[in-house]
Amino acid sequence: MIICIVFLLTQDLQSCTSFHTVPPPGPCVRSEMFPELNSILSSSPENFTEGEFILLSDRQADASFLIHHYLTFYLRARCRVCFLGLVQSFSHYSVVSQRLGVNLTQAKEKGQLVFLEALKASPGVLLGDESSDKTAALDYLRSPCPELRGLYEFVWNSLSRAGGEDAAESWGPPVLIIDDLSVLLSLGVSAGAILDFTHYCQATICSQLQGSMIALVRCDDEEYDEDEESSNYLLKALSHQCSLSLRVEGLSTGYCRDIHGQVEIWWRGRGIKNQRKIFQYKVHDKGASFFAPGTSRAVL
Amino acid sequence: MLTEVLQGSDSGGIVIIRDTSSYSGRDLLKYCINCALKREEDVHVLGFEVPEQELRSELDSNNKHLFHFHNAYSDPLGWRKQSSFTVEQFSAENITRLVRETKHAKASVLVIDSLSWIERHHNPVAICQQLHKLKKGGAIRTICCLLHMDLHQQGIVESICHLANTVITVTAVNNALYAEAKTTHRKKSGKVMQEEEFFTVMENLSLSIEKRPSQSGHAQVHSDAKVDPASNLTFNLRLSEVEREAKEKVALPFVFSQEKKSALLKKGQGSGRIIYEPDANDDFDEEDPDDDLDI
Repeated sequence: MIICIVFLLTQDLQSCTSFHTVPPPGPCVRSEMFPELNSILSSSPENFTEGEFILLSDRQADASFLIHHYLTFYLRARCRVCFLGLVQSFSHYSVVSQRLGVNLTQAKEKGQLVFLEALKASPGVLLGDESSDKTAALDYLRSPCPELRGLYEFVWNSLSRAGGEDAAESWGPPVLIIDDLSVLLSLGVSAGAILDFTHYCQATICSQLQGSMIALVRCDDEEYDEDEESSNYLLKALSHQCSLSLRVEGLSTGYCRDIHGQVEIWWRGRGIKNQRKIFQYKVHDKGASFFAPGTSRAVL
Repeated sequence: MLTEVLQGSDSGGIVIIRDTSSYSGRDLLKYCINCALKREEDVHVLGFEVPEQELRSELDSNNKHLFHFHNAYSDPLGWRKQSSFTVEQFSAENITRLVRETKHAKASVLVIDSLSWIERHHNPVAICQQLHKLKKGGAIRTICCLLHMDLHQQGIVESICHLANTVITVTAVNNALYAEAKTTHRKKSGKVMQEEEFFTVMENLSLSIEKRPSQSGHAQVHSDAKVDPASNLTFNLRLSEVEREAKEKVALPFVFSQEKKSALLKKGQGSGRIIYEPDANDDFDEEDPDDDLDI
């Protein structure tokens, strides 16, 4: 048990070398963990744009801190969140969210958060156990099933019910967070099938239910050829569809202790609303700070 | 040329708007739809990529009844069993039937948003065949399509564009509000015209064409007149005639001229003899140490 806790603690926002146990959950901390990002995007849990499709991507960097940000952001905003955790376990996000002041277990019990733990359920599907309601979502593991229709049905069922059984709890607009899409490519799903899935998610969640959708695509530098099954192709195709794109990259000059990388924020609007800005960031224990290039506190 | 082509003064054919993720060609597509509505033509849109309200907004309100949106956005594959138009239904026969259902007798315009979506589910050869059949069919006068160039291999893009009478390629210009459009228009006579223009689509869907702007990043400032550096100074850098002659007369230090050569060849007048008095500690040997060298 202790070994498990130690292992999970090391998968923190910033690699943690101290082995203290996580403090028991106290009252929900309302402090802003990503204040600069919220002000750059002009959004806060009390006031945010609805119907957005936010595309997160990284290249030779790790954009998962943005996933943790959006998860805690929308939970704080009292939205109903469906989280497709395809690459990490629930406890990973739970530990990190604890540090950011949000209790995922509580949210799950209240029905605010629906979490698909793909890692835990995958062995059952692969080894051919009896199919339950949950495992229909993982149909893509059963070859030859190239469609993500099962996954879409799962998402639709989770988010279409307004408020769940408890009518007293009225949640805000539905939110879908996917971490991440590139792993589906590695699992044998074609890029076209993934794009069909994201199309349906966008059509139902963003356009019909006026909710938001956040997806992470991780790219590799080696795939620079015109391969139609690569993450780069997926990224290009999703860029056409998204309303906001955050691209995380390492610094071109190499590793820096005080600046972990840069983020290009692209507001895809029309005319004057179409803007691209670059910020540098540093991830720390309880969030990340964003600043204009060259204005890091370590440099000034 | 962009305005003439999109306003449809030519008699129909296929118009393809090619774009990339950096600048969406959908605004130009909306402008095309608006022009067709103003000409009181029926516009049928196969909308795969954006919902109806996004395309319908800002359109000419007078003829909105001529705008027919075939919803292929909500359920293009039939997953939700509430589809209005699926991607499987993309064929010349189905589309002709849809178009003929409207009672208006005037020519129809078909708008496809976008061909890239259809290409994911249909063979490019099949798409070209259907487009060709539609062009020859007679029920539709103009077909206007959106194609995302960066999502397909170049061969596929070129083969689809080969069918078109007009191909408009839109690209973003660095940090500018306007975009660049390269139009290639093939007339019925066979003549091909090409033009590059800068444009913006305004809020009310009007097209504004700019000349090549002066703050373009590729501006080549070429000064034709040679600038005299000695002008506009507080001190004098010019030479008078006397000064110029004197300057030309100065012998440069390392130039081997005739005077220097003759001076070196002449023997000196006994200047600079060295007299050496050896000390008590000196080991003065009269012998020549190089005597045994056999040069």
